[in-house]
Amino acid sequence: MDALLFALLVAPPVVAAALAVLAPRATVLVSRLNVATMPISVAAALWLAAGLVAGGPPAVVGTTWRIDALSAMLALLVSVVSTLAVWMGPGLAPGAGPARAEARLFRVYTNMFAATMLLAVTADNLGVMWVAIEASTVTSALLIPLHRTKASVEASWKYLLIGSVGIALALTGTVLTFVDYASTGATVDLALNWTTLVTAAPGLHPEVARLAFVFLLVGFGTKAGLVPMHTWLPDAHSEAPAPLSAMMSGVLLAVALYALARWKTLVDLTLGTTFTETLLLIVGVATIALGSLSLVTQRDYKRLLAYSSIEHVGLACFGLALGAPGLFAALFHVTGHALAKSVAFLLSGRILLRYGTHEIAAAPGVAEALPATGGLFAISVLALGGLPPFGLFLSEMLLVRAGWIAGREILTGVVLVLLLVAFGSLVHHTQRLLLGAPPAGVSVGERVTWTTAVLALPLVALAWIGVSMPSGLRHLLTQAVEALHP
Amino acid sequence: MDATFALLTMTGASVMLLCVLVILWRRHIPAYISAFQWQSMALAFVGAVVARRGGVPELFVVALLIFLLKGLAVPAMLRRMAARFPAQQELQPLVNTEVSLVISGCLAIAAYDVSRPIAAVVNLPTRGGLPLALALILISLFVIVSRRKAITQIVAFLMLENGIALLALLGAYGVPLVVELGVFLDLLLGVLVMQVLAYRIQETFDSIDVEHLNSLKH
Repeated sequence: MDALLFALLVAPPVVAAALAVLAPRATVLVSRLNVATMPISVAAALWLAAGLVAGGPPAVVGTTWRIDALSAMLALLVSVVSTLAVWMGPGLAPGAGPARAEARLFRVYTNMFAATMLLAVTADNLGVMWVAIEASTVTSALLIPLHRTKASVEASWKYLLIGSVGIALALTGTVLTFVDYASTGATVDLALNWTTLVTAAPGLHPEVARLAFVFLLVGFGTKAGLVPMHTWLPDAHSEAPAPLSAMMSGVLLAVALYALARWKTLVDLTLGTTFTETLLLIVGVATIALGSLSLVTQRDYKRLLAYSSIEHVGLACFGLALGAPGLFAALFHVTGHALAKSVAFLLSGRILLRYGTHEIAAAPGVAEALPATGGLFAISVLALGGLPPFGLFLSEMLLVRAGWIAGREILTGVVLVLLLVAFGSLVHHTQRLLLGAPPAGVSVGERVTWTTAVLALPLVALAWIGVSMPSGLRHLLTQAVEALHP
Repeated sequence: MDATFALLTMTGASVMLLCVLVILWRRHIPAYISAFQWQSMALAFVGAVVARRGGVPELFVVALLIFLLKGLAVPAMLRRMAARFPAQQELQPLVNTEVSLVISGCLAIAAYDVSRPIAAVVNLPTRGGLPLALALILISLFVIVSRRKAITQIVAFLMLENGIALLALLGAYGVPLVVELGVFLDLLLGVLVMQVLAYRIQETFDSIDVEHLNSLKH
């Protein structure tokens, strides 16, 4: 049963990517199949999560894969956002020549990208997790210059190089821990498995763990966009095609934080929490500060969303350093961010299509030109700013509370001010984008289709979990926190 | 017995470290590729020595893979790529040769300091090379940030990966095979994608100088 569910979770994107490679002439069919089968992945993730919430044991497949509550939660986020992304991607309508080639490339790499993230969060073997996360960089990098502009080629190179080097440092940290474990004389076959290391961690060498954590923090922190390794993020997220931006911003950052959270738990078992939490607090607050303050002067609405991602990753990182209540808030925050940010990026793609520019100043009057898209975009940005009743408001309040409980009053106060700055800037820039008259040459009005309605769903869900957190979600998050406090 | 083993692996590791230094004082890009090729051969040699002396037969497979992939296939790919670009020189690195050598010396010393705890826990005869592996990792990192050509950065990234492989070989006689194979797969895919992107940079900017990649700001 576990194996079947795992297969159902991972198979849809893998099969879609394979079909897109094998059948270059049937891209439209493959794309439609892709959209139709991706919900299977979501259903499998939901099923796994429901089993865990009902008190079942983690799903185990062989010695390499293991899905506990934390994995199930991440798998659910990845599959939901990937479903939205493949739905909004190119290829569903018949096109000719270059458009079809682009659509095929999109189907190949987006699905491989989704599959690598699903594998990363379900791997028990932390070496395999590393392999999957590195593969996620490679599969997403080629999609950024889908339209071959100078800016997108530049963004893609920076992303690939900085991402690969960063993640190589995470491998160094992984290997250092492995070396330490292997020298205890234990059998090394399953040595990189989370379940093995959790048991062995208290007996490892603290100095080695300290060194390894520095490498791991820099490595996975690069992938998560933590300051000062964030430099690739605004470029890559703003230049990528909208569905890819949605996946990179909505869930790839969360996957990197997931890896960091797992490793933090292991290092804490060896070393105690002071060292890791001090580092995470410094990096987290610096990241929130850079993200929020950069929002103030943004001139480009896609970069606005990208810097907002940096701010939110910083908040989640801050939460990781605040013990169990902080962890709960961070996981909830990551969930809310995945929903709101993916919708915001997908809608920004529609604005870009109509206006042909990323510049906020060159794209006034979205509310008039694209009433439905503009309205939803405004709602998603307000949600990202932390306006009640959306889930991110609740998670930010929980983070602040966790900071207070943990005795970090001053830092929490600073974070609270930065949250207000971020909110103010987001509202200000969105106002500039929405109001005013559309420039000449931009057609006015849009047909509201069912795809627009689909994009409203995550926002409805976000409001729902913000008003009254469903008990299933609460249990899943609580269990995920417990998974990190063995 | 152990002394010969230690000597052989130390020699291999030292050759590998020397190969990264080539990038610091040569300007000619084909020389970088050759340096990487020699370094990979040295890594395969260390792998084979550990397999034989350390009694880990599956490492022979890994050593063979290193030899075939990093020793032959990847350098061939890099040479073909370099031949397609007109510029064959790393003319103006961001940090000049003399300063680069001094910084690398400091990094090597730092590597000895940083690797003390890890050398203390490992009790294998190969542990003497661990600081060299860390030095290789740190110096490769420095090369990536201080050189301008896309192809130089790719070579340095590959050397960084060699450093990690060396660390695993000397510290624990290699990581589990499934991880090893996954890392190889990633490396191969990564190099292919980097190659494609370098071609795109060449097409769109008429140069592979990453200095041109500076339009995205704020």
